[in-house]
Parts: sequence; structure tokens; C-alpha cells
Amino acid sequence: MKKQNLLLLTVFGLLPFFSACKNEATYKTLLITGQNNHNWQESSPILKQILDETGLFSTDIMKTPDKGGDMKTFNPDFSKYKLVVIDYNGDSWSDKTDTAFVDFVRNGGGVVIYHAADNSFPGWKEYNAMTGLGGWGDRNQKDGPYVYYKDNKLIVDTTAGIGGTHGKRREYVVRTRIMDHPIMKGLPVAWLHGTDELYSLLRGPAKNMQILASAFADSALGGGTMRDEPMLMTITFGKGRIFHTAMGHADIGGGPAMQCAGFITTLQRGAEWAITGDVTQKIPWDFPSTAGVVLRPDFKEMTLDEAFKTIGKYDITRSTKSLACIQSKIRSLSGDTQGLLAIEKDMVKVLSDNGSTSEAKKLLLRELSWMGTDYSVNTIKKLNSDPELKDEAEFALARIQK
Amino acid sequence: MASKTNRRDFVKRSVAVAAGTFILPQIIPSSVLGMGGKVAPSNRIIIGSIGTGSQGMSNMRDFLRLKDSVHFVAVCDVDSNRLSKAKETVDTEYKNKDCRKYADYREFLEKEKLDAVSIALPDHWHGIIYTAAVNKGLNVYGEKPICRTIEDGQTIVAAVKKNNIIWQTGSWQRSLTNFHRGAELAINGRVGKVKYIEVGLPDGNKGIGTPPVRPVPPELDWDMWLGPALKVPYRGVAHWDWRWMLDYSGGQLTDWAGHHIDIANWGAGLEHTGPVEISGKGVYPYEGIFNVPVEYDFLCRYDNGIEMRVANASRLPLGMGTTWHGDMGWIHVDRGDIISASDPKILNEVIGENEIHLYKSSDHWKNFIDCIHSGKPAIAPVEVAYRAISVALLGEIAMTTGETIKWDPDKEKIIGNQKASRLLSRPYRQPWNLPTI
Repeated sequence: MKKQNLLLLTVFGLLPFFSACKNEATYKTLLITGQNNHNWQESSPILKQILDETGLFSTDIMKTPDKGGDMKTFNPDFSKYKLVVIDYNGDSWSDKTDTAFVDFVRNGGGVVIYHAADNSFPGWKEYNAMTGLGGWGDRNQKDGPYVYYKDNKLIVDTTAGIGGTHGKRREYVVRTRIMDHPIMKGLPVAWLHGTDELYSLLRGPAKNMQILASAFADSALGGGTMRDEPMLMTITFGKGRIFHTAMGHADIGGGPAMQCAGFITTLQRGAEWAITGDVTQKIPWDFPSTAGVVLRPDFKEMTLDEAFKTIGKYDITRSTKSLACIQSKIRSLSGDTQGLLAIEKDMVKVLSDNGSTSEAKKLLLRELSWMGTDYSVNTIKKLNSDPELKDEAEFALARIQK
Repeated sequence: MASKTNRRDFVKRSVAVAAGTFILPQIIPSSVLGMGGKVAPSNRIIIGSIGTGSQGMSNMRDFLRLKDSVHFVAVCDVDSNRLSKAKETVDTEYKNKDCRKYADYREFLEKEKLDAVSIALPDHWHGIIYTAAVNKGLNVYGEKPICRTIEDGQTIVAAVKKNNIIWQTGSWQRSLTNFHRGAELAINGRVGKVKYIEVGLPDGNKGIGTPPVRPVPPELDWDMWLGPALKVPYRGVAHWDWRWMLDYSGGQLTDWAGHHIDIANWGAGLEHTGPVEISGKGVYPYEGIFNVPVEYDFLCRYDNGIEMRVANASRLPLGMGTTWHGDMGWIHVDRGDIISASDPKILNEVIGENEIHLYKSSDHWKNFIDCIHSGKPAIAPVEVAYRAISVALLGEIAMTTGETIKWDPDKEKIIGNQKASRLLSRPYRQPWNLPTI
């Protein structure tokens, strides 16, 4: 029973939050890019931004020579790095670089395999051992089994056939398969991902691999295998840990697949796990659920300050994100009187501001109805004379003064 | 009208007979005393329904099925299209045009002389209309969850006690064999002492964004639909989808509490108490008008050491349903006749004569009618329904506040938390108020 309680406490991150503050001790990270059948010029700087945003990583981007170029000139010094992120699908590297990379991972270096990086290097045995599963590049049964979930059962399928496909791009639900894995701990069990390719029929050695999350490839939505295909995986190779995300197909500006708060968060958590085997980042308040896709056009989590700057302009036909941000901060304070009062003061400012919309005030009045103090009462009483806000003001006062 | 009053009095008299207080055998058919056989038409329970949406109509059909013991006379709804369909259903059954229609429950309760009423409404109306019906002395078949707030629930329970009527909650799983069997095995210690219970309720629904404000359709009295809830413009979302907005419901969590939490309580002897400590977290939508949690996961600790985890099904190893874990194993029950156990032998256990035998019903709606005749409590009485939904409502408060809630199940109060205590009730939009008892 105790185990279950502990699980419950940790599942939703009820344990004390760790804030990822900027500090000196960042993990040096190398992002390798330069060739890809995907838009690496868009994706690579965004991946760097997503990682560095946490304050945990300091990412250098290193480009390989262009296609057909002299790979002998590509000699990264892996020893300087804790983590290597692969956003690359192109020409083979030199034997020397291959060996150096394999040694780096074998000796405990962390790796992130991002989207089409699992298409890369079909003939490189060690690399495929690190990705666990891959696609395209003439992959088929010789490269290993298909691995997927069918009716919630993990299937390792050696049937002959191609490796790698995806139907029409779509939003899809990502379902957690290992809830107590450090990367997944505290996340919703299911969430809607921004429009993306849904990689399917991946096959590979699949050794020392765990599938953390999968997505159902529904044939009715523009092609699909009708299987739950692996989306997030972890693999170990020697002492090294690999986090593999099949998601995040880049459009101009990243697009919904990269802007998705779920993609961003799992990438950040997966990268940390690949280095340390653990995750200290807190679950962002805007992690999506099955209720809808959550996009971050600037790849950042909205802060409480930003929420208070935007909530006054709230229009019900637009996003409720600023309110959700404020509510999540309130919940995370867990009854801390001073912390709640600070938020209440900001709420009262919005209520007193003639420029704030009635819809914004209505939302805040509902929230204040339970967490407001005497500090709010006079402001709310004034709103009572506004016919538009009368009901909500009475609602709030009735509760606060009960 | 007079003859109807007589019928109602007749039922009350027969209850008294059943209790042995006086004897009028010459006018009491044996069937009324629960002996089976045909009931004379004049002895049927006169019933009407308030709320003729999907659940209201489903209950109506279940009552109409009991041809010999029930007579439907009136229907009430704020949607005139639904109301007409409901009347048509009743009239078709009786091959006449007699079923009366009401748009306002107050007029319905005032004019109709009934023995019983079947009520199926959005949760935010339960407190007022259940209490009003009970205050009229009517026997009530009331849909779960019986209340939107703890305060609503306390009022309804007090009204039922005072008026001494028969109450049946729509927690019909109690009248199914697998749930009864699972609960009876659990309460008789067939998994040892029950220490931990898992309750899996449905995962949340997808959002719909914010549909534009649109004209209220002519058939719908939107202001009456809202009633005590805050006034909001009509966005085409009333029937069914009210479940996904906190003003009217707590979502799947509160909708299903009256099923799997109710069953959990039944098998663990927690029907007349509540948890002492509740903590957990919900996942809420960020966009659109739906705002109930799409995921929820909270833990309740009881005074006797039992713990109950309530979560959306995908978070739990066994998914939907109720699982009692004892020190010797577990039993799981769910819809679809599902009953399983850590050791299948547990399921073959015989319950001895001197052990606990839980109340048995094989027809939830007939049980209600039978109890009106017999005067015995129905299988899902009001206090028990209140305790089941309380678990969900306290979980909702814990998730809303982010705090560990301490609850006194005897005094039915939150301990030492003024802010959380405010969430035990919802102020009503005027002129609506909970009726006095």
C-alpha cells in the first residue's frame, strides 16, 4: 500500500517542486545537424532553445559538411559534452567519428534521438542499437522486429515488411505506458499532441528499450496501422542512456508538432534523464491533456507575470490560458497564505482596471469566491453596481463573507 | 384530483398495514404487501417525472415496464420538444392522451397529486428540486449524483429524514448480481481485512473550444435551465454537455461517483461515514468552455485506516470499476458482469448464514416501487448516496485548492480551512434558494 501512496504523491508531482533556475552547472550539450530530409534549419535552433530554456543545458550546434562533403572534417570532441542531440539524417560520418561517438555513449554519455534521426544510418549497427527502432532507409525484417501495443499488450512482431511509414499529419493522443518512469512521472496519462507525423512501422533491434508512450495510428484519419505505435522510448547502450522521441516534425517556425507543450516538456525531461537517469524539472502548468492541444508559439511556458499582463484582455472566444496559469499557481501554493495574498493583490488590480474585460473579471471573481480575503471585498462590492458583473460579484461576496 | 389523493393515502395506509399498526385486510390485495401477483389498477403508484432528457427517459421506460404497479401521469421539462416526446411516450404506452405536461417544476409539484416522482436533472438543480419534492411528501427516485455540493446533499438528506419518504438513488449497479456479490465477498472478509480500495471512473472528455453565442432555441427556457447557476449566454450547450462545466457538474468524477464509489463504500462498510483526509490533483483543460478535470487522482484516508484512491481509469492498473484490496487478496467489479479476484477460488466462496448478507434487489426501479408499498428502505437510500458523492466532492475541493483537506465525517465539516470550506456550497443566483425543510 505504501508504494501506491508514494506513487500517488509522485505521479502528479505533489512532492516539492524543483525549479529549474539558471546556474553555472549546466550540462554541456552538442546538437549535431547539417543534413536531413527534414527542415533542420528550422528545427535545430528550436531544439537548442527548448533545451537551454530549462537552464539545465547549454547547447552548441555543430553542422556536418553538406551532402557529399568531406566527412573527415567532421570531428566533434564528444569528451566536452554530457549530452549529444541528433537532428541529423544524412551521409555516414567518418569511421573515426563513429567510433568516438560509440565510445562516448558506451562510457555513459547521454543521447537524444529526435524524429528523423531514427531514419539515419541504416547500416550502422551500434547507432541502431541506440535508437532501438528506426524507419525508412530500406529497413525491413533484417533490421529487427516491429514493436507496438495492440489492445494494450506489448507486441514484438517479426513479420516481414517495410520499416517506417506515417499517414497524413494529424493531432493525436499520446498515451503513457510507464507512468512511474522519471520522464513520465507526474504527466497526464494521455494528452493531445499538436499536428505531427505519426511514425509507424518502426523496426530495429529494440534491445534494452522501454516504450514510455505510444500513439494510436487510426486508419480513419488519413492512413494508419491501427496499432499503438511507440512515440517516446528510452534505450541503454553500455553505460549510456538514450532518449528517443519520434515526434516533432518541423514546419516553418517549428509548427504545431514542435510548439506542442507536450513535445517540449518530454524532450526537456528526456534530455535530463539521458544525462543523469533522473528528472528534477517540475511539470509545467500548461502540459496538455486530452481536452486539447497546447501550443507555445515562443516555446516558453507562460509566467505568472505574463498571465496577469494578458488576462485583463481576456475574451471568452479566445484562450483561457492566462487564467489556467493563475489557477495552477494558486493550486501549487497549496494554502500558503502569503503566496495566495500576493496573487490576490494582482487579481484585484485586474478587477480595478477599467481596461479589463468583463469576461476577465468574471473569471477572477469565481476564483476569488473561494480564495479571496478581506483584501478583495471592497473592490468586489464596487463591481456589484455593474449590471454585467452583479451576479458574479454577489456569488463571490456570498462565499467570502459566509 | 380527490381520487388521486385517495390513492396516495391508500399507499400510505398500506405501508402502515405492512408495519402491522392496523389491519384492513378486506381492502388490501396481497400484491400490495409484496406478495406478488397483479395489482389492481387503482393501487398503482402514481408517478411523474421531472427532467425528460436521456436519463429521465431511460428511467421512465423502466417504470413504464412495470405496467401493473406504476401509472405515469405527468412530465416536466424546460425543453418543450423533449416534453412533448415524453408525453408521447407515456400516451403511446397507455393508448390515450392523458399525460400532462409542465414547463415549471413548481407548478408540477403544486398541481399533481402523486405518490412518487422520478427526477433526472443537471446536478446544479438537484438541491432545490429534490428538496422541494421531498417536502411535498413525495417518494423520490433521484438520479445520482444527488447533489452538486455537500451543502445541497445535507439539505436533501435532512428533508428525506424529516418527511420519512422512500428514496431510491439511480445507483442501479447495486441491483446487479456481480456488484452485489463482489461487495458481499469484500465485506465478509474474503480478501481479508479491506485496507485499500481503488475506484476507476471514466477518463475526461475532449474539449469543444468556445462555441459562439447563439439565439436560444424557442423550445428551451434557458433562464430556467440555468436556474440557481450563474447567468451565462447560450452557446448551444445544454443537454448532456452540461457535464463538462463546473457550474453544473464535476465531470466524469461526480457523474460516476454514485456508481463505483457507492459500490466501494458498500463492500467496505463505509456507507455511513466519509474520509478524514483527502489529497490529490486534477488535470484541467486550458481552452474553451469545458472546465472540469479531464484527469483526476486523489487519495482518501478513513479513520479506520482504509485508504481509497479515486482516479480516471487510465491511471489505474485495473482501469474502470471498484477493487477492494485486503491483506489476503483483491476483488474487482465493473460493468459488463465483470467480477474477478486475485484467486478465482474467492469467487466461489459461500456466505454463511450468520455472516453479513447485503440487501438484495434484482430490479432497481421495481425495488423502489416495492419499497413504497412495504415502507422498507430502498436499496440505494439517500444518506448512502450522499456519502458516495461526498467522496468525489471532497476530492474536487482538494484538487481545486491544491491542499490536503481534513474532513470530520460525523460533523460533516472541513476542519481548519476556511477557504476550502467555502467550496462546500455554491451561492445560488437570486431568486433561487434551497427550500427550507
